[in-house]
Amino acid sequence: MDPLLYIENLEKDVDDFHLGPVNLTIEPGTITALIGNNGSGKSTLLKLIMNLAQPEMGNIKVNNLLVHGNNESWKKLIAYQPQTIIGWDPFTGNALKEMIAPLYPNWDETLFQKMVDLFNIPLHKKFGKLSQGVQQKLNLALTIPRNTPLLILDEPTSYMDIPSKKILIDLLVDWMEAGDRSIIIASHQIDDIRKLSDYLFVLHDGEVIGHFEKEELMERYARYWISEPLPEAPIPGEVSREGNVLLSENPEATESYLEANNTRWNNRSSLEMDDVITLLLNTTTTL
Amino acid sequence: MDLPIKISKDSREPIYHQIVNQFKALIAGGHLARGTPLPSIRALSKDLEISIITTRRAYQDLEVQGFIKTLQGKGTFVADISEDLKEEVKVTSVHNILENAVETALSYDYTLEQVKAIFLEILQAKEKGDS
Repeated sequence: MDPLLYIENLEKDVDDFHLGPVNLTIEPGTITALIGNNGSGKSTLLKLIMNLAQPEMGNIKVNNLLVHGNNESWKKLIAYQPQTIIGWDPFTGNALKEMIAPLYPNWDETLFQKMVDLFNIPLHKKFGKLSQGVQQKLNLALTIPRNTPLLILDEPTSYMDIPSKKILIDLLVDWMEAGDRSIIIASHQIDDIRKLSDYLFVLHDGEVIGHFEKEELMERYARYWISEPLPEAPIPGEVSREGNVLLSENPEATESYLEANNTRWNNRSSLEMDDVITLLLNTTTTL
Repeated sequence: MDLPIKISKDSREPIYHQIVNQFKALIAGGHLARGTPLPSIRALSKDLEISIITTRRAYQDLEVQGFIKTLQGKGTFVADISEDLKEEVKVTSVHNILENAVETALSYDYTLEQVKAIFLEILQAKEKGDS
């Protein structure tokens, strides 16, 4: 299958901030979590995909169409929820829906109504009068039912309550059942990453740390409880040690070293997702 | 649908393999009857907090081994499996569990003789309990 989104050697400068080079391919049917520290360039990358900012270098193609070209038909293929929306404040939910729905041929009115019910969204109130959490819910209800092949969400749940976050995860899982749709979700919510993502695309201060398949990433790290004394010098794969607990970023190398030196470990455990992300985003932290 | 499938991320056994073995045990043990619809790959991935790449691999394995079948546009269902195959799965799963128990004992520095003694002790207790 052709990739839905193809990004090649993308670079962008904003004042003294530099993003890239970014290379990223999104296949149909997958969910990619966009992870990074604050100010890592996640939103900038999403704006570049939407042609809301111009790159210094590189290409972005949606379904083989260049987003920076004259043909803008790719816009019908992406539904994008930015973190903040300018210009919606004076309109009610009802009015916004009347403006947006006709633009998308696959608009799913049933899904829209279902989301309005589940999230309890007052459609007669002006957007500007809603709380930040309800604004996010309305924004999602106006974005997901567009039923475009690619859905891009920029921190969609940062103000939402816990039950609503769970509802959204289930809605997105259902939405993906169509089979060939894809989602890119920039998120700091550990549950979004655990329950939704297939891939993690990780940025740190504008630099790409990596594009990982979730289980492959989790298998890169392990913790060992070792009762016997270890040499002073770092051993293969070692990230840190505290007392008799050794953290490795290369379990295979660590284990073959320990076995070769007849050092036994009492226990081995994997890391939690938030620990792995902390390690990726801040290599000086010890866990 | 909620399935009693639990994966251990600390295990040395690959996650897709754990899923395959637990499905086989559920099907062979009669907990999942022929024709039972299974969760979609995306829904199971969410429940188990793994990627669809891993879940798809497990489903493909189960399908190749004849435990499940996918009907285009309808979903995935428990297949009709022979009594021989069910028996084979039961034997293998009991064998694996006992083997793991022995491995655990050996990792605590028990001798095989001691393991045998413990095993006989458990069997004797069972016999008494049943009579």
